[in-house]
Amino acid sequence: MNVTFNKNLRLNSFLQHIIIETTSIRVLKLSYEMWTEKYRPNSLNDIVDQEEIVNRLKSFVKTKNVPHCIFAGPPGTGKTTAALCLAQDLYGPGYREYVMELNASDERGINVVRETVKTFARTRSIGEVSFKILILDEADNMTGDAQQALRRTMERYTETARFILIANYSGKIIEPIQSRCAPFRFTYLPREHAINWIKHIAENEKLIIEDDGLEAILEISGGDLRRATNILQTAASVGKPINEETVYSVVGRANPADVQGMLLTALNGNFVEARKKLRDMLLKYGLAGTDIIGQIHSETFKLNVPDKWKVKLANIIGEVDFRLLQGSNEEIQLSALLAKLVEAGAEIKRGQ
Amino acid sequence: MNIPWTLKYKPKTLDEVVGNKEAKNIILKWIREWDNKPPKKRALFLYGPPGTGKTVAAEALANDLDMELVQSNASNYRTAEAIQKFAGIASQYTTLFGKKRLILFDELDGIAGTADRGGLREITEVIKITNSPIVLTANNAYDPRFSTLRDHCQLVEFKKPKRTEIEALLKKICSDEGLEAEVEALNIIAERSSGDLRSAVNDLQALSQGRKQLTFEDVSWLSTRDRKDAIFKVLSDIFYARNILDARRAVDAADVDLDMLFEWIYENAPYQIKNPEELSAVMEMLAVADLYRGRIGSTQNWELIRYFLDFMTAGVAVSWSHKSSGWVPFKFPTRIMSMSQSRAEREKLAAIGLKIGKRCHMSVGQAIKEVVPYLRVIFQANEDWKNGLSRWFDLDEDMVNYLLTIKN
Repeated sequence: MNVTFNKNLRLNSFLQHIIIETTSIRVLKLSYEMWTEKYRPNSLNDIVDQEEIVNRLKSFVKTKNVPHCIFAGPPGTGKTTAALCLAQDLYGPGYREYVMELNASDERGINVVRETVKTFARTRSIGEVSFKILILDEADNMTGDAQQALRRTMERYTETARFILIANYSGKIIEPIQSRCAPFRFTYLPREHAINWIKHIAENEKLIIEDDGLEAILEISGGDLRRATNILQTAASVGKPINEETVYSVVGRANPADVQGMLLTALNGNFVEARKKLRDMLLKYGLAGTDIIGQIHSETFKLNVPDKWKVKLANIIGEVDFRLLQGSNEEIQLSALLAKLVEAGAEIKRGQ
Repeated sequence: MNIPWTLKYKPKTLDEVVGNKEAKNIILKWIREWDNKPPKKRALFLYGPPGTGKTVAAEALANDLDMELVQSNASNYRTAEAIQKFAGIASQYTTLFGKKRLILFDELDGIAGTADRGGLREITEVIKITNSPIVLTANNAYDPRFSTLRDHCQLVEFKKPKRTEIEALLKKICSDEGLEAEVEALNIIAERSSGDLRSAVNDLQALSQGRKQLTFEDVSWLSTRDRKDAIFKVLSDIFYARNILDARRAVDAADVDLDMLFEWIYENAPYQIKNPEELSAVMEMLAVADLYRGRIGSTQNWELIRYFLDFMTAGVAVSWSHKSSGWVPFKFPTRIMSMSQSRAEREKLAAIGLKIGKRCHMSVGQAIKEVVPYLRVIFQANEDWKNGLSRWFDLDEDMVNYLLTIKN
């Protein structure tokens, strides 16, 4: 645009004035956004961590060729960010035209994915890069059948579309897909990097963050940067200096899935109350039964009960997990598990 | 759209208050006495069961006579000091604009314990000298704590409105809302409310959410007293069956919906069975029954229903010792109610999740799990952030309000 304007200096400066005005207005407006997005890197060069992965991705950009990929790793380690940065480096500012983000758990059924992919990949991309990129998030939530169908789609459109599958567990992706993809394993950020990240945002946002506040955020988020950023922003919104107390208080208020509280209530023998907590999680906060059972599983091992019971409970949890997959009612199956905890609690008390 | 009907259809005049003719007459007679000078008893004490219209009557009265209603809620008159402050207003006869005042001390039952005794004593003192009429409300005026207070008040009893009166109100609401309701359906709701208007109106709203018609079938599971008796009998026949045949037979004998019966058993098991091991065994039986129900769903093989029945009846009956810890009444399955109420909520949540997902590159489920909880806290803590972020996410007013109202 500037090239055209250079012909007329006065118009140019006038327009520049307007541009400056509008951008400052835009900046004002955009100052309210989620920090996870505000501070999400826009280029592979800006990603400070996952060095090895980033280097490999940069080489793809250099050769302008990307294979199908699997990005696997725990939440908040930069999988989606890496995929988006790769696309931006590859296609430049207009990258959105060449990239499609799909979510395996939102787009119900492989047919939807297939149809969307078909229309998206049918047209060749114009420009230096001859293919488009399809980012399929939560790919490990797809059933085996759906993955088989996905595999065929991937093969058919390899010429015009490359897939980046994002998953927490690559093991849940079927073997034939895995063998067609370049694997990338994301790991939790080293502690110093997470600290730097939080400090970087805090500085930019002019926050007062105390050491114990920083410590608390690291402790709760456990290496998940998205979570850490969300906690930081929430703590900042309260408008007090961020210390241990503010962090724990906002997290306590935010976390409806007090799975630990529910388990303790059951262990202490109050089944009715525990069941009510479960019901709130399912109905009021819309959590999925499978999410709750995942948390129950990890919390159980932290409970103060004899190891013998932990193993017993793990077996029951596994059974309930399986039953949920078979389409049983979430609340009824999970409350049967709570009743087992009540039983465990009573036996432990007797043993003392 | 989303305001509770109990608010939307609150009577504006005393005349509109449902039932309680006698009480309304006493109220009108008493307020007229104020025309000359303060009467001997300067306070009205409205008492009666919840949902019979006590507070509403006071509000309507103020409205009728164009008085300013000065209201203090339970937390405000916990201490003598607070009452004294409040009394300052009470002692003035008119407002700056010449309006008379009506003072309301609502829900006196809320005052409890010795710490609040001072509060009650102070209210009595205020009543003795007030220049503005005072109205008190409580469920039970004959609570010993109110004995002194009572002497200085004109007592007015609010009785439960008749079923026909409740029905008439429900009918009016339906016609205003453009809802076609069968008479039998309203009949059940009115019956079930047992005189609590508020709960009847709430039930009507919950049941008709997202509907244009309300049929007998839609509400039949709420059960009239007869049906309730029937289901109570089935429940006790199952929980306390002497052998598995009796337990199985209990279902055949009763004409009840099986899914509904399951809900009744599931709701009541923990109240009937106190022994942890037995409760655990019974809940496992219900879980297995549910497992078969799930299999029927996925295979469409209805033959499997016999196993569903086996486990929810015989399975429950034999898994515990029948030693109950005294008589415990059966409870209505609350899960059903909360499910119908929260379906709309979950849809709203999903709509919000979709907006967030678009902005933050995540699925609806992830957004609900990972962003919504924090967003709620941010919205409640910071007005500017609330406005800015709602704009950024493109949330409409309804969504914002929803996020603000979820309790933590």
